[in-house]
Amino acid sequence: MLEFQPVQQRGFHNTCDENGNVNGFEFDFATPYYKGLWLTQCRFGNVIVDGETFDRDSLAFVYNGFDYSREELFDTKIYWQFREPITIRVSKPGGLALGYHDVTFQFGWVLNYNGAPEKEPDGSGLGNAQFMFGTDFSRRMLLAR
Amino acid sequence: MAKEKGHPKRGISVYSYQALLGKTMTLDDAFREMYDCGATCFELLTSYIEGYPNPSPAWVDHYWMLCDKYQLQPAELGHWAENHLHRGPGASDEEMVEQLKQDFRLANLLGFKTLRTKITCLNDLCDPEPGWQSYIEKALPWAEKYDVRMQNEVHRPTTLHTPHIREEYMAFIDRTKTKHFGFNVDFGTFQFKPADNDPMAAMWGFDDISKPEEIVEFLPYCWTCHAKFTNMDENFEETTIPYREIIGLMVDNGWSGNLLSEYEGPLAFGAINDPKAAMDLIPDQLRRHHIMLHNILGY
Repeated sequence: MLEFQPVQQRGFHNTCDENGNVNGFEFDFATPYYKGLWLTQCRFGNVIVDGETFDRDSLAFVYNGFDYSREELFDTKIYWQFREPITIRVSKPGGLALGYHDVTFQFGWVLNYNGAPEKEPDGSGLGNAQFMFGTDFSRRMLLAR
Repeated sequence: MAKEKGHPKRGISVYSYQALLGKTMTLDDAFREMYDCGATCFELLTSYIEGYPNPSPAWVDHYWMLCDKYQLQPAELGHWAENHLHRGPGASDEEMVEQLKQDFRLANLLGFKTLRTKITCLNDLCDPEPGWQSYIEKALPWAEKYDVRMQNEVHRPTTLHTPHIREEYMAFIDRTKTKHFGFNVDFGTFQFKPADNDPMAAMWGFDDISKPEEIVEFLPYCWTCHAKFTNMDENFEETTIPYREIIGLMVDNGWSGNLLSEYEGPLAFGAINDPKAAMDLIPDQLRRHHIMLHNILGY
């Protein structure tokens, strides 16, 4: 079961490399929409934590145990199942401090009805569904690990 | 001679519970709720098929167990004909036909005879992207093979007199004489005022709406309709859509299709801000809606 907000607190923690050194953090995200989406129609943006921006092309997206870059997702044939979160892994040596953080994830998708076609058909934008949900999904979350 | 009265089946679209599904409610819970409402048929969206587009045999077995246990007939599978799933120009006709065939096969496997087919469109009036006739026509033999009927949804702010309804969709039916393409008239097209506190209400106005009597001409091409509702009051009346008039016309004109409750009130997309209210009120609204349908239909 998921939490109600798209940005999930369950799964929010620092990550370690194979030597046990903290090398970043990760959290789960589920779309706010009422249906699943093909990963190729998704438009993933940056992560912003307490004002610090982590570029979308530096992120790893983990789905069903596999890591993908934003670019690699465009070559998949994967249906992002309804109410299955995707994990967003962010590289940051030392990780985040324990305590509260304001986490924003930018996300959009290409909607095929109810709106105008995507303005950036090369996939560089954030899709065409902004008019429904916006693109910045934010949550104040408590990091304890 | 008066027409024989219709006998619509009372059903529910599982979409009604979408704000709770996977959060506080499983698909099994949704079936239990639908049974409690007195529904006899239902709609799934393709997304609610676990593992879509390739559900496991175990999931399919479980699905049929649910249908049997809760005495619910599959009515409609909601799916999409999406031209823009990849970067760059739109899909070819061949790619679209493959996409449609995949869903026709699934509908057939899961017992659905009707589909709500969302054709790619260009604006909020849902004017279809040019060229749709080509791939839909190529998919018709497959719809016949898998015994499914595609239905374009007439959804607010689209009305039954929006030009593309007659000039494109009805013209297509007239030309091809197909029995595998028609309309799902969503009752939101008759909505004359917003529900209180509805965050989505301001998106479209209420100046141009469908009149109930307009539905009569479309009934021969409708097998399933979305009984959209936004606000059921405590006297079991819908306050924003003229239900009694619409259903009266359908019954008097001999319509015996699937009438699927579809909740799209303030909490449909507002649950994120008020989960507790959504958990309480969404199932309550569905139950109220079915008491109303029972009162109108007499069963």
